[in-house]
Amino acid sequence: MDTILPRRFIETSLQSLTCSQVKTIQLNQQDFQQAFNIESHTQAARFRMPPISLKPRLAETTVAAVDTSTMKIGETSSGILLAVRGTTVWRQNRNYRYTRLGPFIFHITEENKQEVYISLEKAYFDSPLCKNNYGSPSLLQMPTRIACLLERWLQLMLAKTLNEGIVLLDGSLTAGTPDTPIHFLKDILSAARSRGSTVLAFSKMTTLRVNGRLITDLPFEHKPPFLIGMDGLKSKPPTVLLGDVYVAKLAHGNYAFRLDIDREVIFEHRIWSIEKLLVNDALSQGYPETLRLAHILCTFTANEVIAMQHFAVRRHGFRLVSRPDMHSVLFGPFSRGEVCS
Amino acid sequence: MKLYKKEGNILQVLSFPNESAEKGDYLLVEDSEAGKALIVQVIDVQFASVPGVLEELLRSLPDGGEVVQGEDFDPLEIAPHITYIQDASLLVCKIRATVENDNLSPSSPWLPSRSQSAIKKLSVPTLLKLARVDGKLPIVLGGTKDASLLTIDASALDGGLNIISGKKGTGKSHLSKLLMLNLVGYKATVVVFDLNGEYLSLGMTGDGKRNGYYDKVHVLAPGQNFKVALKQLNLHVVLGILVHALHLPGTSAREFRRVWKSLQEKDMLTLHNLGEAIRDWNCNQHVRDALASRFYALVNSGFFTDNVAEAAALEDCIFKAKEHGGAVVVNLRNTGAIDRQIVVEYVLGKLVELLTAWKLKAAFLFAEEAHLYLRETYWDDIVTRMRHLGIFTTFVTNQPDTIKENIYRQADNIFLFNFTNEHDLDVVSRAARVDVETVKSIARDLAPHYCLVLGRVVRDFPMVAKVKALDVKTMGETRLFFGEAA
Repeated sequence: MDTILPRRFIETSLQSLTCSQVKTIQLNQQDFQQAFNIESHTQAARFRMPPISLKPRLAETTVAAVDTSTMKIGETSSGILLAVRGTTVWRQNRNYRYTRLGPFIFHITEENKQEVYISLEKAYFDSPLCKNNYGSPSLLQMPTRIACLLERWLQLMLAKTLNEGIVLLDGSLTAGTPDTPIHFLKDILSAARSRGSTVLAFSKMTTLRVNGRLITDLPFEHKPPFLIGMDGLKSKPPTVLLGDVYVAKLAHGNYAFRLDIDREVIFEHRIWSIEKLLVNDALSQGYPETLRLAHILCTFTANEVIAMQHFAVRRHGFRLVSRPDMHSVLFGPFSRGEVCS
Repeated sequence: MKLYKKEGNILQVLSFPNESAEKGDYLLVEDSEAGKALIVQVIDVQFASVPGVLEELLRSLPDGGEVVQGEDFDPLEIAPHITYIQDASLLVCKIRATVENDNLSPSSPWLPSRSQSAIKKLSVPTLLKLARVDGKLPIVLGGTKDASLLTIDASALDGGLNIISGKKGTGKSHLSKLLMLNLVGYKATVVVFDLNGEYLSLGMTGDGKRNGYYDKVHVLAPGQNFKVALKQLNLHVVLGILVHALHLPGTSAREFRRVWKSLQEKDMLTLHNLGEAIRDWNCNQHVRDALASRFYALVNSGFFTDNVAEAAALEDCIFKAKEHGGAVVVNLRNTGAIDRQIVVEYVLGKLVELLTAWKLKAAFLFAEEAHLYLRETYWDDIVTRMRHLGIFTTFVTNQPDTIKENIYRQADNIFLFNFTNEHDLDVVSRAARVDVETVKSIARDLAPHYCLVLGRVVRDFPMVAKVKALDVKTMGETRLFFGEAA
């Protein structure tokens, strides 16, 4: 297995922490653990009727999922301290197992952000031809961009090692964004196809609408499990849709999800894959348990955040400073809405 | 350790896994800028309320109760930091005193700085030194957790009322023997009501040889080497026995007084003559019957004799003990309930008589399970009148609710062994010198032979010690049917 990226993560992480001159960190007042999915589509979507009924297909298949989390654990006067962690979960023989990578902690400043990002990106794209053309992100985008690098690497490794299985991704199969250049995703999808696996991407939230209503909120009268295909979706350049979009309602209840399936996979195989998923994974509220576990296992708890701050203080000499939250200071009880918005 | 919260006289301290502190430990919260420090005692150890711990625990069990197996690649080694935070504990402490310029004051009207205060463990020897728990008559009670000795001063037992309480088999009698022998060592006069014959062999070592206390422990067995002649008795002692132990009604008691005085005037006070006089006394038949039944109870006890030669035991023993220190052990093991009360009435009456006449300066009384032989009115008598006369009692019991509340309220020292029963702990915590939280929290977790010492002997700094072993022949162990093989 190619381990250049994780090794580079460790090196860059340690280097960013060690080289830091500013050793005072302000405790974080807002966090984001999951990257937001960017859906850049023209809104001319319509359902492809009738819905496709699904029947559980009894065939032993490994289901695997990847998810990453990132969190800003503090601010320094020159930048931010961020943590990234990724998890792969797979279900085989009715047992779930996981591999968790991280957390990696980075001290990102305006001065080192380019160096850090390029160094990590270089580890991912060993070929100079595959270089990401979007340049280094802003300081605020760094957490999600670094997490995305780790996530895509984990997805690629999974696609390269799983035979005739189901690879579950969190989000959509939209490429061409700064986070997900087209060849990133293409590599993952083709690696999976070459080993007989199918990539299914589940989005927890979507902005896609049909007749003004969110596609996942529409009242479907069909009996689950079923899929409804979507037509008329056109991505806004430079984004590209590498999958076909469906609304998937895989279990009884109120929840339907946007599901992207690799466009290069033939229709029958797509349906078989979902039908095998029905048998080989638990689908609580219509969402695959493997993917849910991947999310749960990589998410940072408050306890872990304190521990990482403790690590930064003890191992790398950072000093915690709790500056007043200006929202609270200025707006008192009315600050809450503003923070959440 | 970090100061977290103060509510009333409860202080909460955040402690990390490498800073071990347990229930009963003392901490010094030092505010160097204020020039003062608080002495606090840990009364409970809880998990610190670390945010995210619940999520942490929940995510390890998402698969229908089965732990999800997996591998963690943690290159920066954050996991030990997570454990470190997760295992942080909250020490709930009771404020015991304020130290200012090496002087202790029991109050704590000030608040130490949360950010600047340094918190460290306070060793028992340092605390004892600060609290000036020392003296010329040391009694080593045992070892504390930090491998130092807990030494109290015998004079702190002087003039006091003590209670030793705890569950069965936790070591109450052992401590009672330790205190008793040390008092004897300091030439004190000790009287023991030995209900189970546990104190009979205190003069022997574990392997059956004579020890230093051999000549100082005087065992009196009622009806055997402990008998009383009527001539030696004062009327009020006899009346005490008749009224309190044998429940003689007031009218009959008045008639008995006349019979007694009549015989006393004629110098004819013998059992035989007393029986004859009651039989021939000119009085109401019911009164005569009442007197006669009590007379036969006295005779049947075997405790009374007409032979003066065999009847001077108690006084002799007490006077011997008075000279060089000694213990008079009244063996009540083979004595029936009524006879036991007769004997106790007599001994207490005799002690009061000797103390009143200043023939005896003071005596330490050890009473095991006193509710089995002490009459109702004696409880108050012991903590008031008898105490002023010089009888300093130590009650030993495994049933704390058998001791009246006012005894607890006036107890100077309490030696508490393990109790798990909430009701028992409630009863004990009524003592004026203890606080409910300390008793309930610490006593519940005491291991066998560990004792929570409260009161004057430790200058009101509750301390836990493992009572030291005694090289004396143990008696009074519970007889077992299956023995050790079971």
